[in-house]
Amino acid sequence: MSNSFIASRYFGNLTILFVATGLLFFSSCKKPEDTPEEKTGKIVFHFTQYNEGAPQRYDTMKYVNAAGNHYLVSEIQYFVSDVKLHRADGGAQLLDQWEDIHYVDTDLEDTQEWKVYDPVEAGDYDKITFTFGICEEKNQSLMFLNPPERDMFWPEYLGGGYHYMKLNGKWLSSDGMVKPFNFHLGIGQIYAGGVIDPDSITGFVQNYFEVELPASSFGINAGETKEFEVRMNVENWFQHPHVYDHDVWGGDIMQKQDAMKLGCENGKEDVFSFGEWKGDN
Amino acid sequence: MAVFLMTVVVMYGLSSCHDPEEPEPYEPTPYYIDIPYGFPTELNIPEDNPMTVEGIALGRALFYDGRLNGRTHPDSLMSCYSCHRQENSFEIGAPRPHPFGVTGHSTHHAMLPMINLVWNPGHFGWNGSVSSIEEDVLGVISDPAEFDSSPEKVVNTIKNISGYPEMFQKAFGTPDVTVDRIAKAIAQFVRTLISSDTRFDRYMRGEEQLTPEELRGFVLFTTEEGADCFHCHGGYGNPLFTTNGFYNNGKDSVFTDPYDRFSVTGNEMDKGAYKATTLRNIEFTGPYMHDGRFETLDDVIEFYSHDLVNSPYIDPLMHHIADGGIQLTPQEKSDLMAFIKTLRDETFIGNPDFGPPEKLPGNNPE
Ligand code: HEC
Ligand code: HEC
Repeated sequence: MSNSFIASRYFGNLTILFVATGLLFFSSCKKPEDTPEEKTGKIVFHFTQYNEGAPQRYDTMKYVNAAGNHYLVSEIQYFVSDVKLHRADGGAQLLDQWEDIHYVDTDLEDTQEWKVYDPVEAGDYDKITFTFGICEEKNQSLMFLNPPERDMFWPEYLGGGYHYMKLNGKWLSSDGMVKPFNFHLGIGQIYAGGVIDPDSITGFVQNYFEVELPASSFGINAGETKEFEVRMNVENWFQHPHVYDHDVWGGDIMQKQDAMKLGCENGKEDVFSFGEWKGDN
Repeated sequence: MAVFLMTVVVMYGLSSCHDPEEPEPYEPTPYYIDIPYGFPTELNIPEDNPMTVEGIALGRALFYDGRLNGRTHPDSLMSCYSCHRQENSFEIGAPRPHPFGVTGHSTHHAMLPMINLVWNPGHFGWNGSVSSIEEDVLGVISDPAEFDSSPEKVVNTIKNISGYPEMFQKAFGTPDVTVDRIAKAIAQFVRTLISSDTRFDRYMRGEEQLTPEELRGFVLFTTEEGADCFHCHGGYGNPLFTTNGFYNNGKDSVFTDPYDRFSVTGNEMDKGAYKATTLRNIEFTGPYMHDGRFETLDDVIEFYSHDLVNSPYIDPLMHHIADGGIQLTPQEKSDLMAFIKTLRDETFIGNPDFGPPEKLPGNNPE
């Protein structure tokens, strides 16, 4: 008989013992009196991407933006942080007990559903707000060491921290060539004399912004789990209030504060919408 | 507490059952990896193959033992080190872009280094088709372009070399030699091959300053208006210097390689896509790209600068394709090169723990 066999037998028996003890604990813990859980519910967010009213299709040049650019989208990666539930009585609950910055990636399904850890007090809520990107205080380099969040890092010279969003695609440019665009939002830079040269940076611009989800009032009962959809309407990054033209701004904008400013103002306006989650379609 | 208790019980169980004719009790020493500054804290170590000092010692011997291919004739010895050589960051080095296996067949692709693979999320090879180092070892054994052997042959050879069964005993608890254990031990050794002592690492840790030229190169590397290498090859926020992602980086307009990323995913957009390799020790790992088409790093910089080729499959992150490349001036090229050379890790190349063991088992030294 081998020693490893003995070892695994011991482990096996012990596991059973532990499980049995655990069960004992659990069952003896159930008391009839009010526990906090019984006054709270749970929330799940589902992040979706739509374009022209239908689920976003990837890598197909089927879209035309407000500027008339024909374009395709390859992938979208972004951060939503500091989600706040605003109560009807004026108070607000910040969702930050386990995760205060949530990453969404159109290539990674498990990022598209966020089962919020925080118990949510039962009652009526007026609206939900969140920060698109990451606020200045929290946006610190090397806070995400592991992928996929790690790969959102924003270079030190350009302000550090992390991209708020990478929206990558291609457009048919006015000269007839299909060109890539990297609609990347993050910390902007101010360049002395307007010359884009990292040596002439005189300051940084925090471009993150607060989104107030439209029509996001809801009520939640004790013990209930509410599932919501947070929908990104991709075409709106390029149309309200500013018409964003890829032929004007080109393929890259991390060092073009004017372009990022338009993008962020559009993002705040009407990119996100909200509703009860009705399941995948 | 619970874990401690279990350990005590298990150890007690082991020692009380120790049979005098069995060689030694199975008490492998756990091996811990210190996470270097800025590196990912999540390691890819399979649950069924925890790292131990004894497992690594066995893996290291096998890695460097030419008899691992199941042959003992001095002319046909081959092991991992035949192609993966420490002095070249575990590549074979120029002038042979495609190494040849025992029987003279050449591999499909040029070499990949073995560097920081404990952080590879589970897609090894240029196209990511291999899901673990263990699986890779099994592939190497039967691949006609590598060992061109069989698990049975390998196991038979290794178990008949005196010394190995004892090492298997220490590493895995019994002296049985199996191909699965061979793969596990080698994988454990490969996971110890960590590079974290480049000039750039020391700069990140605040121990050393870079020269103005190197810093200019760093700016180029990490800015979109510069050379924009960081989206795929990392930087301060990702000191592995690879995302371990797959991209088409604009080398061709026609794609005929049956072993690209597309062959693995079936996704059209992955045609001509390969892993963006780490740029650590890149100086030692030429020739470059999956097909070894570029001899030197100067050639590579020239390519990114002026010779990009557009296709429907080019990755959107290659936005400089609109200008045919990043259009660096000669000064910028030399700055970028200076930065890339800060990724040289002499400690890694010279680490005696990564080299051959002093003595291999048996009396047939290699
Ligand atoms: C004949 C030369 C040769 C031998 C011998 C060889 N390799 Fe390799 N190895 C290669 C080549 C070539 C590649 C790149 C293959 C590809 O992806 O197409 C590679 C890739 C790898 C990779 C993937 C690295 C990465 O970054 O994804 C691992 C792991 C590896 N080899 C391990 C081993 C081990 C372990 C052995 C010994 C059991 C071994 N190799 C023997 C040539 C060799
Ligand atoms: C869109 C992602 C992307 C960008 C941006 C990018 N690379 Fe790469 N790089 C790759 C991929 C993918 C490969 C491997 C391609 C192949 O083997 O066919 C590669 C290969 C290389 C290699 C050869 C690696 C080897 O082991 O053979 C070097 C050197 C390199 N890149 C340097 C750079 C530099 C310098 C820049 C910036 C000027 C840059 N790369 C920008 C994706 C990228």
